[in-house]
This record gives sequence, structure tokens and C-alpha cells, in this order.
Amino acid sequence: MSIFNFFRAAARPSAVQAKERLQIVMAHERAGRTGPDYLPMLQQELLSVIAKYIDIDQNKVEVKLDRGGDCSTLELNIELPSRDAVKAPKDPGKPAAKPGDAKPVGGSANGKAGDKDDEDEDDSSEPVKLAAGGNALTNGGIKKRR
Amino acid sequence: MGKIIVMTSGKGGVGKTTSSAAFATGLALRGFKTVVIDFDVGLRNLDLVMGCERRVVFDFINVINGEAKLSQALIKDKRIENLYILPTSQTRDKDALTKEGVEKVLNELTKEFDYVLCDSPAGIERGALMSLYFADHAIIVTNPEVSSVRDSDRILGVLNSRSRRAEQGLEPVTQQLLLTRYDPERVERGEMLKVDDVLEILAIPLLGVIPESQAVLRASNVGMPVILDEASNAGQAYTDSVSRFLGEDVEHRFVTPQKKGLFSRLLRRTA
Repeated sequence: MSIFNFFRAAARPSAVQAKERLQIVMAHERAGRTGPDYLPMLQQELLSVIAKYIDIDQNKVEVKLDRGGDCSTLELNIELPSRDAVKAPKDPGKPAAKPGDAKPVGGSANGKAGDKDDEDEDDSSEPVKLAAGGNALTNGGIKKRR
Repeated sequence: MGKIIVMTSGKGGVGKTTSSAAFATGLALRGFKTVVIDFDVGLRNLDLVMGCERRVVFDFINVINGEAKLSQALIKDKRIENLYILPTSQTRDKDALTKEGVEKVLNELTKEFDYVLCDSPAGIERGALMSLYFADHAIIVTNPEVSSVRDSDRILGVLNSRSRRAEQGLEPVTQQLLLTRYDPERVERGEMLKVDDVLEILAIPLLGVIPESQAVLRASNVGMPVILDEASNAGQAYTDSVSRFLGEDVEHRFVTPQKKGLFSRLLRRTA
């Protein structure tokens, strides 16, 4: 036995780590098991409400659920098409979005929107995080308390 | 009216079939008329562990489909009075297990037997669900290892929500833990979850602790339920577990390392 092994023996036994890991993962799994599994339906309905007003691409939607210690967070990131993409540019020869034209849709006119006018925008759509900037849908707007 | 027991675990390879064979044999040795059914359609193995693989003519699925009578499919154990085996099909797939079919066979068996022990396949698919659906008692076979404990918790959730008793709002299926492949020496070194750790996590009563033992492989090699190896730790631990299942108060053995003499320590002999 080398001197290194002597010191390593003082480390936490693997069985203790096994127990702790199990307790954490199973607390989450049990919490998910009880009660109705409403999340998929909630997601669908939220999306359909947004789709009523804004033309969104279902593939550009990111839904994330974080289960924390005493509260859980449902995070929705929806990429909104730029105004140009929605209206379909008349002249296909022109770049899809001129600098200055790409403005966030959905009333998220915060300070950053103005700054972006100076940037070179090649994308026809601009990702807008609904979560950002204290708008209607805020990050963690839906919280589930346990 | 006989009782239906399911031997289940979620995870594979933890000792469900070994435990089913041992438990059924133990119940029969105590004088109860017992039948053990293999629910692992397509991966039949209970017959090998019980040592009756060459006597299988008809099987569980044949009975469900009305191709054979129950009495034709039941195999009477040659060693133990009161013990019968109902093997499963090696060729069909698990869709052959219909709820109505299983119920019909179980109803017939509970009329005649004191205990009907269902050996569940691994997983939480049809075979496993059918094996636990009609159960009155569940024995959860678990190894002191993270994936097995997690899967056991999962299967406990299934028992509490998708068994017949749960669906019909009857008294819940009783659940007991059978901790197998337990190695007290590794536990003492901090390398393996303790009995108490597993009990704390799963929160069900302890039926028994079966120590890791070379006798288990030896027994399955020759097609003999390990409970019949009365000299082995594992055999004795199963006998104790059967007694506890029948309501007797038996102290747990083989949960602490056995003191080794100088001689055996020098020879480094195990089990």
C-alpha cells in the first residue's frame, strides 16, 4: 500500500455516495410520479395560444423543465420569425433582412432591440427569447411549488 | 382460495428466478400446495433452475390459448411433495399473455393451490405487468446496487398504480423486500449499500437478506433450488425468509461479516 492509498482511505466510501445519489434521483422521480402528468398538455396549450397571434415554427421551440429543491421552473424559449420573414419579402434578390429591419416581434421592445440595428444581420429571423427582458412571458413565469 | 405472490424487481439478473424457485420450494416444504409460474415468455428459464426442463410438454401459453388443459401443462416436482411448475413458452412472444387468459388460469390455480408464485420477467412491459396484476403479495428482489434499487422503486410505483388491487381500490398489494447478493464484507469496507440504506430508500418491510454465495450457481448448474442446499448460507437465508413470509419472527443472519479463523484467513478461502 502506497502512501497515496493511505490518504485515499479517508475519502468518502462509495456506498455513501451511492445512497446520496439514489436519494436525490428518486426524490425527483417519485415527485414526478404522483399527480397528473399535465406538463405535455400545458406545453401544447401554451404553444397553441401563442400560435394564435404569432406565426411560430414548432421546431424552433425549446421547452425545458428544471426541478429544483423547493420549486420547479418551466422555461419556454420560442424563436419568433422577424417581421420580414412573416411578410415574405417581395424582392427575393435583396437580402432577407436589411440591417435595421430586423426587429423583435411580440412587443419585446427593450433597450437591446435598438442596439441591434447597427449589427449586421444575415438571418431572416431573429431569435427572441420570450423569457428575456421582463415581457409577458418571463423566464420561470410558471412555477410549481411542491 | 390460494394467495398469489409475484416475485419482481424491474431490473434483470438480480435473482428473481433463483428466488422464485427457492421460495416455491420452501413453501412446499412447509406443507403448502404451491405452484410456480414462469411469466418470462420467450425466455423460459425457471424450468432449468427447477431441473424439469426435459419434462416440459405443454406450457402456460398453451393453456391460455386452450390448446392444452392445465393438468397437462403442470409439472409435478420429483423431489418435493406439493410442488408444481408451470413453464412458459419458449417460442411465442409476450403478446400471448392476455389479461383474460392469465386471469382464467390464475383463477383455476387458486382454487387448487395454497400459493401461486408468479416469476416476473425483467422490465415493466406486458409480461411483468401481467405477472404482478393479480398479485396479493409482492416480493421485491433487489441487489444492493444503485440501478437495482432505482428499478425496484419504479416497480413499487407500478404495483401501487397498475395492479388489479390498485385499479379496483382494494387493499393494496403487500410488499416485502428480498435483498439478494449481499456481501457483508464489502458493506463493512464501505463498498456496498447497507441493508438499512436500501430499507430507508425503498421504505418497505424486509423479508430477508440473501448473502452472495457460490452455492447459488452450483445449485442452478444441477437444476436444484438453492434452498435444498441446507448447508449453504444462501439456502438457510431463503428458509428463514420463507418462515418470515409465513409470519414467523426469525432473526436475520448473514448480514455481518463472518469471523474467520487464522487458518482460513491464511488460506484465503471464501464461502
